[in-house]
Amino acid sequence: MKTPVDHASQWIYKGVWAVLVGLFNVPKQPPSHLSDSAATLQTFHPAHGFLRLLRLQFWLILTFIDGLLLAAWVIVFFKVSHTLAYLISPVVLFVMVAPDIVAYVAIYLRYDTTWYVLSDRSMRLRRGVWIIREATITFENVQNVSIRQGPIQRIFGISNLVVETAGGGGERRAHGHHHAQPASMHAGLIEGIDNPAELRELIMQRVRASKSAGLGDEHHLPQNVLAGSTGWMPAHLEVLREIRHLVVALRGIN
Amino acid sequence: MNTPIETAADFHPRTITRPERVLLQYYIVTSALTIVLFPFVFLPQYVKYRTLRYRFDDEGISMAWGLLWRKEINLTYRRIQDIHLTRNLIERWMGLSTVSVQTASGSSGAEMSIVGITRSGELRDWLYTKMRGARGLETPAPAPAEHQESPPHSPDDEALVLLREIRDELRQLAQDQGAAQ
Repeated sequence: MKTPVDHASQWIYKGVWAVLVGLFNVPKQPPSHLSDSAATLQTFHPAHGFLRLLRLQFWLILTFIDGLLLAAWVIVFFKVSHTLAYLISPVVLFVMVAPDIVAYVAIYLRYDTTWYVLSDRSMRLRRGVWIIREATITFENVQNVSIRQGPIQRIFGISNLVVETAGGGGERRAHGHHHAQPASMHAGLIEGIDNPAELRELIMQRVRASKSAGLGDEHHLPQNVLAGSTGWMPAHLEVLREIRHLVVALRGIN
Repeated sequence: MNTPIETAADFHPRTITRPERVLLQYYIVTSALTIVLFPFVFLPQYVKYRTLRYRFDDEGISMAWGLLWRKEINLTYRRIQDIHLTRNLIERWMGLSTVSVQTASGSSGAEMSIVGITRSGELRDWLYTKMRGARGLETPAPAPAEHQESPPHSPDDEALVLLREIRDELRQLAQDQGAAQ
């Protein structure tokens, strides 16, 4: 059942998107990505639980701030003067409502502009509205994959997957910061997904398959190891048999 | 196996040597936003624009700029760890973006930020195809099978050469002994 309010908000949201796409060049399509075959390419947003979590955060913060503002207004009304309270009421009302609408729209924008594209070899992660960032990481370069889930995230059934490549760099932003940026440019954050184990398996499979350290080393190593370990080829055995034969012959002579 | 990944046919990064002119406009606009600080912000950016040189060769990229303080960065494609494409609002309006290339060094920032390329999406994809892991394991998969099937006459097989020498020595010895008797 859709109420008129739903319709109106959808209409407004579409308008916001039209402005973003038309004026601010925000791409509406997911990022393109190169892949061996289009069939293995999966493109998705964060899970729906992520949106619900953001909405819950929004309502909690809204209740808190608007509660404070209302309390301040009530204090003015009873303790200072009625006229002043009436005079400032439009301002207070505006401050209470306007940022909320912006923030609420921003939640949906944040969700809709976050894209994860995975191929069987690599991934491309896009986030951002004003500053759009796209990270491309091949799984072969991945050093470790970690799954992080807080208590509230658990309630909503979502986790963050952090994919790290080699190279350091301090954590520039604190853990669990509101914007949850990756710790450094050497990490890819896949935020708010409901199938982290599956994704981890996909990536770790690739990491395990790679014989190198993921630091740009060439693939010569396996070949050398092979040549050393399975040393005896049919040609060697043939010559060895000849040698044995000759030794036997020599013994016979003596 | 390696064919399906391809970037636009008419895009040749090797021909890129200079940033495009629109980068200068971008620098003018962003410095103008600082109003009073304009000359201080713009001058180094102008120098960077005028002196910036790129070279995309078979093995890697090098990038150099600066007049009084020269800076040059070299890296190979194979050592690229991840590629970031960043576009802010003004860059999007001007069709620009920044391609940041990371290697496995210790810094958290980008090792190389390629600026002033309008076809940066294509550049990014082109770099991606040169990156390790983008095309899968290139050499080893077919190689071991070959080794086991057709090994006998690899001339640099030291063990085989040695064995043949021993055989020949023994054969000579057997002949000598036979002749002596």
